This record gives sequence, structure tokens and C-alpha cells, in this order.
Amino acid sequence: MALILGIEGSCDETAAAVLSGETTVLSSVVASQLSVHGKYGGVVPELASREHLRSIVPVVREAMQRAAVTFDDLDAIAVTSGPGLAGALLVGLTYAKGIAFSTGKPLITVNHIEGHIHAVVLEARQKGTPVEFPALAMIVSGGHTHMFAASAAGSYQLLGKTRDDAAGEAFDKVGKLLGFGYPGGPVIDKLAPYGNPKAVKFTIAKMKSNPLDFSFSGLKTAVLRWSQANAVDEEVRVRKALLKTDPSPALEQWLAVTPQRTLDVLASFQHTVIEEILNHAEMAAEGLEGIRSIIISGGVACNAGLRLAAAKAGLGVPVHFPSPGLSTDNAVMIAAAAVPKFDRGIFAGMEAAAQPNLTLAN
Amino acid sequence: MSSRTFHTADEEATIALGRELSRELQGAVLLIGDLGAGKTTLTKGIVEGRGAATMHEVSSPTFTLVHQYGDKDPVFHIDLYRLDEEHEVETLGLDDLFAGKSLVLLEWAERFPALLPARRTEIRIEPNEDESRTITLTNIEPR
Repeated sequence: MALILGIEGSCDETAAAVLSGETTVLSSVVASQLSVHGKYGGVVPELASREHLRSIVPVVREAMQRAAVTFDDLDAIAVTSGPGLAGALLVGLTYAKGIAFSTGKPLITVNHIEGHIHAVVLEARQKGTPVEFPALAMIVSGGHTHMFAASAAGSYQLLGKTRDDAAGEAFDKVGKLLGFGYPGGPVIDKLAPYGNPKAVKFTIAKMKSNPLDFSFSGLKTAVLRWSQANAVDEEVRVRKALLKTDPSPALEQWLAVTPQRTLDVLASFQHTVIEEILNHAEMAAEGLEGIRSIIISGGVACNAGLRLAAAKAGLGVPVHFPSPGLSTDNAVMIAAAAVPKFDRGIFAGMEAAAQPNLTLAN
Repeated sequence: MSSRTFHTADEEATIALGRELSRELQGAVLLIGDLGAGKTTLTKGIVEGRGAATMHEVSSPTFTLVHQYGDKDPVFHIDLYRLDEEHEVETLGLDDLFAGKSLVLLEWAERFPALLPARRTEIRIEPNEDESRTITLTNIEPR
């Protein structure tokens, strides 16, 4: 059973995890969720090297301690090499190289997007319902909206991606412009069941040249236009004031400051995004011969409305979601994506570079 | 300070204008306009015009903050939308980018005037009632 330390630091989060074999998670630490994080500057997004530098040592140490293992016990060190922010990636990569060099253990570089896919593969195995291939893999998050055909774990073909905004970005921007703070995705998900999803008709343009591409920019703009036409300034002001007194208001507090028409818009907006995601999944699945499952991963996979709609959509094959903790950026997924590489002896050298534009497949 | 104004009828025309402007743009270029104005759309044309990537490869950098297109003569596409504090922006190392020779396109950077180079280009994009846009380009020189 290989023991792998995974390190993730591609954008906002520094994370470390220890994985034993294919499915036994010995520890998973994410900097922003670490109680000691206060000491290191609170939950400021870790935009660049400086912030990651501050977190990486305590985060890796915490992961090793919780797993009760030492560097010498490890079989390999896995780290995200891209895509992401150059400065952020460099910190994780350099630190991982340092551990690999000093312990003589192999280094494995992992694509962040492949990590998201493996979060699902790992959990499906844990549940005893493994992902069967060929599969359709969708990554929907704040930074990515990508759809791949996976003939096997590790073999991907890009089917479509966003031409402008990522799905999670659309949620977060709509949340912000309506005064729900940033990122607003989780709040919209909570409030959407209280609105009428058919109240406002939003349309999304079909993509020329590749119908499997996505576009969410126009939808975001449509919500902006709605807010301008409906004089929402006063309610937005009230919600912003609420956020100042309480950075994470409870559902009842949000409902008290959100009129029905705005709940209807949130519900309609969320409904439109979900429909777009699931329509694309259906369209892509029809084109994949012998498809046996669908993977939906990334931060937007946390969306309860999406999970519910996917279950009801009758897509014909099992749809696998990660648990909320493994939907957003984490290091378990990086260690998990490294397992097949470890088994096949695909290791990186000390010259491995951070690749901000790394793609999974073209 | 010199300004020029352009009108584009639709998204495709905005991309075409980006391609055209890509030849003259250099250094720090601020793209200024509300949500949905077409900042990323114009960027598609500029990046493609420079030969750094195709327009389909250009997407919004809001979450990732920085997109780099091309390796040899890269174009940086930066979006500060989700940042609120100067110290957050400072950690991005924009100074290094401004000091280099690359073209640096910035969305929502006008909110952080203290962090911008004195010599820069500002492109304002205003949506009109129809699908058209009024686009004003201003070259700002150090005083």
C-alpha cells in the first residue's frame, strides 16, 4: 500500500493530505479551515507566494501529524504543478521538491483538474460503487467549467469548456451584485428553494462552432440588467449592512432581507445554470459511445440544487458527485490522482516547473 | 493625454477591434467597464491579435486572478474583481509585470490607483441600448 503525501496550492488554498493505498485518507488539512490559521493571517485568500509560504509548513506538518506518519514512511510526494497562479504553484512545488530531495522519495506532479476528477474516483471506490469508464467528467468551479471524455482514469479528451465566465464565477458575481457578499454561490443555493425557478426567463445563447462549450457571461449580465430595472439598491444596501454585522448570516436572516422577487431571480438564475450544465452533460453523454458514468466535480458540485436536479434528470448512467469537502480545492484529490502514476512509475524530476496554463487535454 | 473613440456593433466587432488595437498596445492597459460590458470579449481580440492564443482560449480570470497567454511574448490578463484591499493586490506581484516588457491587460484595476504605473493606457467600454459598444482609448503619460 503506497503512502502518498499530497500538496495542493494552485490558487486560494494551501492544502496537504496523506493517502494510504487508493482509498484510505489518513489526513486532510486545508489552510483556511485550520483553527490555527488565525495565527497565520486568517482566511485571506492566498493569492500569491507570500501567503502560501506562510501556510505551507504548518499545513504539511499538521497533515503528517494527523496521519501519524513521518517523511521517511512516505512512498512518494505528490504536488499540483498547474494550472493556477504561478507564484502559488511554485511554493507547493518547491516545498514538495525539498521533501523529495531530502528523503530520496519520488516526486509526482499532478494536474489540478485531474485532481478534481480523482476526488470523485476515490470516494466512489470508498462507497463500493466505483466510477466505471468510459466516463464523462465535468469540472465546474469558480475557475473552471470543463467537460472531458475519460476513456479511462488518466486518459482525457476535452469536449467543451467555458468561453467566458466559469459557472461558479457566475454564481459568485450574481451573489455579489445582489448584495449577498463574495463568494455568493453557497448563499444562492440556500435561498433558491424559496423562489420560483420559472419566474424569470433567462436564456443562454447556443455556442457557435462547438455546442458543448459554455457561456455564462450573458446570464450574469442579464441578472445585472434585471437589478438595474427593478431598483434593488435599497435591499442590496440592507443586505450589505447585515453582512457587516454578521459575516455569515443564517438562512432566516437572509430571508428576512430578501423580497420574493429577488428570491425568484435567484431561483431562476440557479435553475438556468443547472439546466445548462445538465443539458451539456446529456448532449455530451449521447455522443460518447459506451459511456458508463458521469462525474461532476469542483466547487459548484456542492450545489444542492444541482445534485437534486442531476438525480432527477434521468441521464441513463450513474452520476457521481464528491462530498462537499472534496468538491472544493483540497489535497486528498492530488494524492489520489498520483496513485495511478505511482503504480506506473511516472515520476517528475527536480527540474519540474510550475505550469500556470497546464491543460488536461486539448 | 490623447483619446480616441470607437464604436462596435456587436461582440464580433469588439473582438475585431481588439485584434486591431493589439498592434499598438503596450505595457499596462486598463479595461474599464461594468459587468458584462465586454472587457473579456475585447481581450479575446487583443490576445489573438498578438498571436498569444486563440480567442476561444481566453476566458475570465476572475477566480484565477491571472491568466498568462503565450510563452515567448506573453500577454497577461488580470482581473482584480474579487479583491478589495490593496495589500491583497500587492501580493500578486504586479510591479514585476509592469517592469517587464509584456502587455498586461487589467480588469477592475482602476479601483487601486495607487498601484498603477503612471504611464498606462485606459480603455473604457460602455454598453449602449442595443448590442453596440462605445470604446474610448486614452494614453496616459506621467506628469
